[in-house]
Amino acid sequence: MTLLRQYLRALLNARKLLIYTFLLSFGLMIYTPFLIIVFRSVGRGWFGRMWLPPEYTLDWYRWAIEVTDIPGITVNTLIIAALAVIMATVIGIPTGWAFGRRRIPGKELLMAMILLPRMIPPIAFALGVAQIFYRLQLIDTHFGVALAHVAVCAPYAILVLSATFEGLDERVLEAAAVCGANTLRSFFHIVLPLIFPGILSSMIFTFTTSYNEFTLTLMTYGKDTVTLPVRTYLAIGEGYWEVTSAMSILLIIPSLVVLFMIQRQVAPEKLVGGFKGV
Amino acid sequence: MKSGSTRRTALVTLVMLLPGLAGFFGLFFYPMMVTVVRSLRPEGVQVGWTSEHYISFLMEPRAREVILLTFVLSVGATLLSILFSVVLCLVLRRKPQGNRFYRLTMLIPRVVPGLIGALGLLLLFGSRGWVNLFLIEFVPFIDEPLSLNYTVPGLIIFYFWLYFPFTAVTTLSTLEALDPAIEEAADVSGANRWQILRHVVLPLIMPGILAGSVLTFMAAFGAFSIPLIAGGNYRPLSVEIYRQINFTPARWSAASARAMIMAVLQVAFLSIYMRILRRPVV
Repeated sequence: MTLLRQYLRALLNARKLLIYTFLLSFGLMIYTPFLIIVFRSVGRGWFGRMWLPPEYTLDWYRWAIEVTDIPGITVNTLIIAALAVIMATVIGIPTGWAFGRRRIPGKELLMAMILLPRMIPPIAFALGVAQIFYRLQLIDTHFGVALAHVAVCAPYAILVLSATFEGLDERVLEAAAVCGANTLRSFFHIVLPLIFPGILSSMIFTFTTSYNEFTLTLMTYGKDTVTLPVRTYLAIGEGYWEVTSAMSILLIIPSLVVLFMIQRQVAPEKLVGGFKGV
Repeated sequence: MKSGSTRRTALVTLVMLLPGLAGFFGLFFYPMMVTVVRSLRPEGVQVGWTSEHYISFLMEPRAREVILLTFVLSVGATLLSILFSVVLCLVLRRKPQGNRFYRLTMLIPRVVPGLIGALGLLLLFGSRGWVNLFLIEFVPFIDEPLSLNYTVPGLIIFYFWLYFPFTAVTTLSTLEALDPAIEEAADVSGANRWQILRHVVLPLIMPGILAGSVLTFMAAFGAFSIPLIAGGNYRPLSVEIYRQINFTPARWSAASARAMIMAVLQVAFLSIYMRILRRPVV
């Protein structure tokens, strides 16, 4: 209804019409791929030049559930992402602190170096990671896959946290000291609440990175550590488009739930890295 | 006394930096070195040195095609993203109805697993997909479905769909930080809409556009999952690398040599881009 009203009002003004046509086609461009997956996953006998499938069925979902261990894959993906977040945060907090609060000779250069893993295509060092992990027998372990993810997650965490620590006002800490707070007290009551939003956004950032990471997972996964992106890739390779579509819909649900929970906490722009020119 | 305390401060800083440095050297630098060494070893053995993998790849006539393809795809997708993002951001800036919804929409391709997006695009652009149905139905002179999947223009569209948010988000945030007073001044001075856009707004948001597009370019250059499933016979460098280790026996050295070439090309291109930008961009 609102769409119809939008159109009527837009007809009054050609420029407005142009703008809304543009926005509408933009919306279509983003959402139709998902819509067509949904239709493909419930349609039967959808051949030839037809806009919509002639018959609807849930058989493909039954198939998808039979051939894929959806809960297992979701759990794998979540465990790996959680481990990667923990490791990246443990690395990010002290390093971010040093970058944000201390004078370091050649800081710019050092930061550029830390961020190098984001500039080099992951496949380049994934080759090395795979060979090292084979030797250390870290292939096909949750810890190993997560550790590989840390290579791309940690730079994010360090970058976000160093900006957070840099923003910490020295005067607030001095005020706390003047008011008689000891180091421990000032840390828990002043510093932690102040840097918490930064830590949270760094965690969310690393979480989505690890959750969607494909290249490094493909080089280090095994049969016990199949993650969501890898499973989608394998399903596409199998070539049964209907079952693949059903599987994708099932696999996308957890990531939408996570997204929904996340976007209430942080500005969604943070997920793409809309800060400080990153 | 004083030097003692500064030394202790320096030590604390160093200790705090250690986790980051350990992560960098252990998870990036060391694997990178393994790749370098591997690329200089003869295939399948751990001793001896050779540069045959580089030479044989670069001598192949296909190498030029592969490298050119990688560039065409990433530059094409980047240019398309810039054009589209600028228009989109100029529209969104006026806060049309439902602009919050469209702002969220902008992020969808980055937060949904890319392979699922690619699957949808493959279905959408297939010979029986909605795009072709639409073209046949409504566009004159098109009676046969266009083959978009597994072609270069199709791949550019896929890349664009997946990686434009980097450009769009940065452009939008730069545009919104722009002081409206500047445009008003231009307006008062008698500039028309087009002149304001061309001579005032665009130059001012250029740094934002460039900073965003470098992210799009990097993502497109290193793209691996999309060309792997949607590239067909078109294999950019990343897929070419992966193909080498999928041979039996795996050609790790050949793959490593190609990976090094790819890394060098990317760093070279980035440094050119950064020189244009004249400020550090990640």
